[in-house]
Amino acid sequence: MALNLTRRKFLQTASLAAATAAMSGCFANRATASTPFVKKPFTAPGSFADTKTAVGGVCEMCFWRCQLVGKVRDGKLVKLEGNPKSIDNGASICARGNAGVKLLYDPDRLKFPMKNVGKRGAPQWKRITWDEALDECAAKLKGVVDKYGPHGIAMFPHGSSATYPMGFFEKVVGTPNVSEASFFQCRGIRDMAYVATLDTPPDENVDMANAKAIMLLGGHFGENVHVSHVKRYLKGLENGAKLIVVDPRFSASAAKAHIWVKIKPGTDTAFLLAIMNHLIKTGKYNKAYVEANGVGFDKFKAGISHATLAWAAKTCDVPVKQIKEVAELLAANSPNVSIHPGRHVSWYGNDFQRERSLACLTGLLGAIGVKGGFVKGKGPKVGKAGGWPKINEEHAEEHALHRMAKKHPFSPPGTPTDMIREAAITGKPYAIKGFVAWGQNPIQTIPDQEMTIKMLQQMDFVMVCDIMPTDITMYADILLPESSYLERYDMIKPGTQWDLSGKQEQYISARMPLVSVTAADHERKDSVWITNEIAKRMGLGKHIPVQTMEEKTNKALAGANLSIEQLVKEDGIHVQPGADPYGSVLKVNFFSQEVADAGFPAIPTYIPVPETPKGYARLVYGRSPVHTFNRSQNNAWLANEMPENPVWLNDESAKKMGLKDGDRIELVNQDGVKSQTSSVVKVTPGIRKDTVYMAHGYGTKNPAMTVAVGKGIDDQSLITKLAVDPETGAHGMRNNFVKFVKNGKVLSIPA
Amino acid sequence: MTQSTSTNMAEIYRFLAQSMRYPSPDWMQADYFSALNTFLVELGWDAEAQTIRQAISEGTDWLESIQVEHTRLFVNAVPFVVAPPYGSIYLSADGMLYGPSADKAKAFYREQGFDLAGEADIPDHLTFELEFLALLAEEGKGQEEELFLQQHFRPWFPKFQARVLQEGRHPFYGVLVNLIDFFTREEM
Ligand code: SF4
Repeated sequence: MALNLTRRKFLQTASLAAATAAMSGCFANRATASTPFVKKPFTAPGSFADTKTAVGGVCEMCFWRCQLVGKVRDGKLVKLEGNPKSIDNGASICARGNAGVKLLYDPDRLKFPMKNVGKRGAPQWKRITWDEALDECAAKLKGVVDKYGPHGIAMFPHGSSATYPMGFFEKVVGTPNVSEASFFQCRGIRDMAYVATLDTPPDENVDMANAKAIMLLGGHFGENVHVSHVKRYLKGLENGAKLIVVDPRFSASAAKAHIWVKIKPGTDTAFLLAIMNHLIKTGKYNKAYVEANGVGFDKFKAGISHATLAWAAKTCDVPVKQIKEVAELLAANSPNVSIHPGRHVSWYGNDFQRERSLACLTGLLGAIGVKGGFVKGKGPKVGKAGGWPKINEEHAEEHALHRMAKKHPFSPPGTPTDMIREAAITGKPYAIKGFVAWGQNPIQTIPDQEMTIKMLQQMDFVMVCDIMPTDITMYADILLPESSYLERYDMIKPGTQWDLSGKQEQYISARMPLVSVTAADHERKDSVWITNEIAKRMGLGKHIPVQTMEEKTNKALAGANLSIEQLVKEDGIHVQPGADPYGSVLKVNFFSQEVADAGFPAIPTYIPVPETPKGYARLVYGRSPVHTFNRSQNNAWLANEMPENPVWLNDESAKKMGLKDGDRIELVNQDGVKSQTSSVVKVTPGIRKDTVYMAHGYGTKNPAMTVAVGKGIDDQSLITKLAVDPETGAHGMRNNFVKFVKNGKVLSIPA
Repeated sequence: MTQSTSTNMAEIYRFLAQSMRYPSPDWMQADYFSALNTFLVELGWDAEAQTIRQAISEGTDWLESIQVEHTRLFVNAVPFVVAPPYGSIYLSADGMLYGPSADKAKAFYREQGFDLAGEADIPDHLTFELEFLALLAEEGKGQEEELFLQQHFRPWFPKFQARVLQEGRHPFYGVLVNLIDFFTREEM
């Protein structure tokens, strides 16, 4: 730099003219307009400083979908609140819901389509145009289809925006290889087991608000917050419902429980069988309901007669007295009992049988269609729109891996994750060479990350569409940025008032943008647009069912004689008179011929899980009140609330191991896999000695997430031993065992 | 400042703003580099001019390497987005976009009779602030220009600049942020 030349001097020199003359000519070919500003006469503040309320938001910080309004000041979203018109969550939303503002303005959000010019796993990103990105995605996906067949593509979707592209890949392209984390790593087992038993998926439809007793198996409300669900639960408790919590850990729910059953993990089915056997033996079950609606009850009765209280006490490490107490409490309050079906239930690889047991217990108590029991609200009818025609669905069905292998007949929709991964890695029975992740982060949702990475590395093409740079984005060849749930039309959310015994009402709301997505510093698009553009470029444009998200929403609303315009007029939620939900009756397949025919135990059966090896404890994980997914983990507000996930350890064990509360530790699992990040110990009497616990969704590896990276331990990285539920093919994730590591020294956990 | 120097200053702000936009082939061409080169040489920044000349003549794909660098520094990258080009990242406690300082910048635009075109535009993006300075200079509002620099631009720019200088792998953006610094710095 020349000495002494200051700006002022430079601006006075003759050389300035020469320099700026060159400048003014050099952008002559520039396509874009020069200034991002428009002239606008100044109006006194006040006129634009007003905060407006934008209606029609539906939260997506978790899947519960509370209805929101956005406080918008001058184009900026300043606050999210519950929609006061909501008869579901009402004016309340939870901490995560609130923090949606920070997701919207997260500097790490994906902004433009990207091409990876580096390697998968160690990407170098280059921004490209949408045209380039879409051309490449379409060409590469079509290349895979042409060379390997439609089944050569695997898709891992998550969230409501992924439904539309999922329909395209399944029905039009024709691949069966779709793995939804919400099924295979979460609730699919529950749904399939209840369908086999009660002929309906349960969702979370227990009328806790009006129950006399509530039983939770691993449910930890308070830590796992879903607004209207928690409202039901709290109202029930307020009204004096007795709470039974079965959990190896003193969870937030256990703290409120009348009976806390500190069960040995993995043995829940034994516990449930003993309760049912006791109720039958003592004649304390709902005979009238069972006689009228039970199928195969005698076989069931005989089949579980071995399940004595003493047997279960030994198996579950729970006193006989307590099991009996639980059984008696349920009987005393029957039929107004909420046996909670759970939500995330992919635990041990014996989960279908446990979920069947829960459904049978519900039937045995006659807790169906009655106050406090298993009751589904009667929601409104809405239309369907945006469904792709079933062009190639037959091909998909013929190539479904579990059907070809005659395995997992109770698989939820899609194909069991493990089979997709196996096939991709081995090339048998066929090659899978194209990979699409849409809103799902399979690096964290699926156990055994090494295998997942192997699968990704052998792909010809990997495309990822997301809103945040989650771990999976590091493996993308092309990365597409999606608009967030606060900026797009998306889905219809129908329902009823939260308290089923309240005034009978129904509501219809739709996800509508609270703020505009139009900005110069990003080019985010919604999933309908992206999918349609890919479809066109793959030569499949003629099958496109709707042109825009807005059209899709309007068409669905038309089924209820509504429109977006009308919904806005009604403050985002249409409310209409409802119908009494009580009085429904369900058949209960205590013995299931269908399950028998498929070669599985036809009455609920306890299948022991691997014992905890000496020196280890079983790794159990759950939700934290502030995080749902890795997606919400980068959120600065939430990260401040709970920056990392303390690892719960029994106090007596901790003493013997020389660990103190707050000590920084790492974990190593039974296969020698060490956590890549560290966390702190929480020393507590509130957990069994054979179990350690931590919240899920921490310790992300992708350093592009600046807030989240390396904070806490990623439970998934330690889940290397796979359990697969034989009936459903869904994963069991709690058969992994860990030791602690402090200052490089491995500490065994005393028995 | 005289009318002609302030017109020249507007030209310079615009040039700098454009230089910080995504390096796409519709503007980052030989013409651009020769203008940049002339500019640097006239300034007496010969060494800088030399590094840039070298960088774009050496690399087989010189454009792609600047694109990758731009993305890594400002948009999305491993190990992290090095220097998001927004003021409130550096000025608000939670390091988020559209913090209170961004609102203030926007109010300033409004007072001067300007508004951003995109509905969801984040007001304190580096290129917006530079383009706005160009507009002020063009209208000969020297005082307002100084005020904006002092109250809105300088409070964050040096922090941004430091990150780019420390983490940059390609010489282009290092030179550019130093140029911006040179033309926006307060002079004694
Ligand atoms: S429970 Fe919380 S995070 Fe989930 S939808 Fe409702 S407000 Fe959003």
